[in-house]
Formats: sequence, structure tokens, C-alpha cells
Amino acid sequence: MNLESLSSAEKNHVNIGFMRLTDSAPLIIAQELHFFERYGLEVTLSREVSWAKVRDKVAAGTLDASPMLAPMPLVTSPGLKNNTSPFITGLMLSLNGSAITLASGLCKQIDLGTNKSSDSCPAPVLAAQKLGQIINVLPGQLTLATAYPYSMDTFQLRHWLTLGGICPDRDVKIIVLPPETMVDNLARGAIDGFCVGEPWNRVAVQSGIGSTVVSDYPIGNKSPEQALVVTEHWHKSYPSTHLRLRLAIMEAATWLSSPENRQVAVPIIAQQDYLDLPEHIIEPALLGCSLDSKQGGLEENPDFIFVNRYEAGFPWRSSAEYLLEETFELQGIAGDCSEASQLIEKVYRTDLYREAAAVLGYNCPSTDYKDEGCNTSSYLCKHAKEMGRDLFLNGEKYFSKQR
Amino acid sequence: MPNSSNHSVRVILVDDHPQRAAMVEQIMKVCDFDVVSTLSCASGLLFKIQEHKPHVVMIDMDSPGRDILESLSLISQHNPTPVVMFSNEEDPEFICEAINAGVSAYMVEAINPEKVKPLIHVALAQFEMYQALRLQLSSTQQELNDKNILDKAKRLLMKHQKISEPEAHKNMRTLAMNNSQTLIDVAKNVLAILDKE
Repeated sequence: MNLESLSSAEKNHVNIGFMRLTDSAPLIIAQELHFFERYGLEVTLSREVSWAKVRDKVAAGTLDASPMLAPMPLVTSPGLKNNTSPFITGLMLSLNGSAITLASGLCKQIDLGTNKSSDSCPAPVLAAQKLGQIINVLPGQLTLATAYPYSMDTFQLRHWLTLGGICPDRDVKIIVLPPETMVDNLARGAIDGFCVGEPWNRVAVQSGIGSTVVSDYPIGNKSPEQALVVTEHWHKSYPSTHLRLRLAIMEAATWLSSPENRQVAVPIIAQQDYLDLPEHIIEPALLGCSLDSKQGGLEENPDFIFVNRYEAGFPWRSSAEYLLEETFELQGIAGDCSEASQLIEKVYRTDLYREAAAVLGYNCPSTDYKDEGCNTSSYLCKHAKEMGRDLFLNGEKYFSKQR
Repeated sequence: MPNSSNHSVRVILVDDHPQRAAMVEQIMKVCDFDVVSTLSCASGLLFKIQEHKPHVVMIDMDSPGRDILESLSLISQHNPTPVVMFSNEEDPEFICEAINAGVSAYMVEAINPEKVKPLIHVALAQFEMYQALRLQLSSTQQELNDKNILDKAKRLLMKHQKISEPEAHKNMRTLAMNNSQTLIDVAKNVLAILDKE
């Protein structure tokens, strides 16, 4: 690729936020392996603790750009009353990579070890049902946490609870905590479980505080986890800087798609300035393993977290539709679909992804919408790379309204 | 600047810095806002919100418990609006200023955002004043430290070279000028060398 043909960056120094989550890998790699530098950018990675604060800092311009959870750029006001958002995204950073972990004591009661799963009732469903029996005795007593109200983690936690006959609004309390405080809160007994991105599930299991009952892979595979978000205003002021940013991160993601490189990435990401955790804690999720629920052993799960494969970077507008529907359901309101689609087109900028993919010579889907939860195995998308299995654990299918 | 229309705005303040909380609370009361509760940390906040039904919760952005406010939309009928989202049309700079100063506010009950703005304005002013006071305090402390270092270095020099105080001072100044160092740097060097003996 000829870098000369790119227009020069309007702004060379860029502040980007990141959280202590394995999903931050593409940003850290882009920094440490000098992908940003190659694109003429001097990047400061600013370690953040709270998603709410990330949102506020990007909106206020303290951060130029930051990863956010996939629904965050869409849902900035309750009920989408103004139907506006200051944010846009042209690149998804990761799919999957979260899990549900419950306190060890609670898991003992559920007795995961003796669960006999079957095709009709897989282990995660059985675990939810057993939790449901416990909650029948202690209604309203359990507190669970996610890192942001409108997030795949919240939606998936709620879906999983529902599978066990638990009403997420009435039978349990779901609160919001920063990801890196989850394990402490679990240890102190302030919460009984959480749904959050790795490596925090691994940390809880390794320290004997909790057991992971299910990863998000079976609950709803290919769930969009994080997106690279800027404000629309920022993008209009610095379009070329934004393009260069996306190109550098896409190249880092491509680099990360090889298993050998991921092995190389582990010690880099573990460093004090980044995740600041032991390598063996970070390694499993990054290498594509999720936790075995019982002993904290590993089960091979190459799709546990990934970037680059299966068009993971493409901001599917159908995914945004799905995320908004989940949000409407959570807020208990009937969302206006035509207004929602305007918002989606404004925020999920497939054109920006295509612009960057064209520079890098990557294939790109020719459509912005796909059905979700309907594919039992890998399939080929029009003009795109291979797409993966994307079933939901509850058998739900999501048919895009616009195809 | 008492304003009777402010009295209808119920506020809960959460701040881990008790002195700053007191400053903010005082000025809000002067401005006739109805401060229903002031908390030093966010634990118990959800309960307080149910009890007092505030229109606005104002919290230090760096407070470790701040995210708990985001939970409101999951566990109650409230959909709290964070301040950053409710005035992006007319006055974005003032909101940015508030965020950069660490003021974060949530509108919990439906209320005219115009009524919340003055509240944020006064909190912002207090946050900035508090920051300035802290800077002033730390520079005063720095000056005191510097003076102590200087005195100790002089005493060591006087003892070591058996000279008077003005002579010790003069020697150090000469050293500083010859080496293009500050007096305090020279004093630190003197301490590093003589203090071990």
C-alpha cells in the first residue's frame, strides 16, 4: 500500500482511551509494534477505569477516540428522545470475549459438577435453571453486575437468567461497576456474580473467588463487543487522522489474527502500562480458550474472542438494529423503527469501514445488514470473507428489517 | 444570588473530598438549591435516591462509585441522563469544562435542563476554586520544604567548614552560579554529600 497517496493527518497527536480488557489488544499492538507511527500518528494511550467516564471524555474531547461497548455510541439518551448521538464508529474492535462468573459459594449450591447436560438442555441452561431454583427461595436477594447498562454483557446476562426462569427485573438486582472492580466486589460479597469481558473472569476463577458458568460464545455467538468511537464533530474536523487511526488498528488486528502472533502479544499486553496482570491470566482469552466452568480448566474455543476474522471489524447495521431492540426492551419502551434506522445509519458508518478496507485491499461485505442468529455453521457472505456460526443459546433469531 | 425558582431543584451531592463537598453544598444553599443529602461516598446512594427522589445527583467524576448511578436505568423506572448528554446543542463548551474539572451530574427526574445548568455552573466554579486552593497549598508546602532543605544544608556546611552562616550562604550561591544550578539543587547536593558523614 502506498502511504503517500493518503492525505496527510490533520492532527498528528491523538489521545485514545483503553480499558484493562483483552479487547484492548489491537490498540496496544498498534502502539507497541508501531502501526500508529507508520501512519504518521503519535498516539497516547490513556488507561481508563469506567465506561461512563470514557463516554464523557470522548464527548467532551478530552479523549480523541476510544473503544466503547457496541451499543454505547447508539444509546446516549434515554428512550432515544432526541434521536441524536454525538458519536460515530467506522470500525468494530472485537466480537465475543465475555463470560458470566458467579461467586464460588453460589456455584457450590448450583453444583455445576454433577450437572448432566444434554443436547436438549446444554450445561449453561441447566446452570441457569438451578440458579432459578435457588432464587425461588431467595427472591430479590442476589446482586449481579455488568460494566454498562446498555451493553452486550447486560443483554446476555438477562438472556441467560431468563433461560433459568429468572426475571431479570424482579428476581435479581443488576448494577453497574467498572470491569476492574468486579473481582474485588465479588470477593467482598458486594455482588454475587457478573458478566464482563476477559481477563476478569479468569482472575476470579484463578483466585478461587468465582466460577465461570458460561461464556458469551454459546449465549449469542458473534456478538459485537467493542467499537472504535469518535464524535461526528471530531471526524469532520480530522477525517484523515481518523482514517489513519482505523488503518493502523486494522493492520494490528490482522497481525493479531495469527495464533503465533497472539503468543507474542501476550507479554506485551500484560505489561504494567497496559493490563498490568500476569501473563498466564491474559493468555487463555487471547489465545482463544474460554474457561471450563468446573475446575477453571480451559476448553478450546477459538472463537472466544477475536478480531479480524469473520468480518469482525465491519460495523453491521443489522447488529446495531439488534442492539437497539434489546435496549428498547430493557427500557420498556416501544422504539420507533424508522427513527432508529436513521440513527443507525448516522452512527454505524459502514462507509468509513469500506473506505479503510479499500486502502488496505481487504474484502468487504457489499450489504450493511445480515440476519443474526440463523447460521448453524460457517457461511460465505456476499463479497466477504467467511462468516461464522452465530446461533443464540435461546434459539432466538433476528431477521434484519432492511435487506 | 438567591433565586427562589432554584428551590424546586432537589440535589444529592456525592464527593469523596469532604472539604470540597462542604464548599459546594454551601454555595448551592446560598443559591437556594434544595440540597437534600450530601454523601462522602456512593455506597448507599441508590437507597438515598429512593428516599429523597432528587432531580439531580452531582458526583465527582473520579469517584470510584460513580458508575453505580448508571445502574439506575437497570433497577428502577429512572433513566438518568448524564450531564454530558443533555445540552450538546447550545452550550457544548460549558459541559466540556465541567467534565474536564471532574464534575459529573445525572438528571434523575425529568426536569428542565435549563434549571440544572446554574447548578452545574456553581459546582464547576467550586471545583475549580478547590483545585486552585490545593495547588496553592501544595506550593506553600513546597516552599516550606525548600526552606528546610536550605537551612539544613547551611548548618551542615557551617559545621563541616567551620564558617559563619552568611559565609555558608555565599558559598552555596557561588556554587549555584558557577554550575548554573538553583540554590535548592546545590543544597540538595550538599545534603547528599555531607548528610551521610
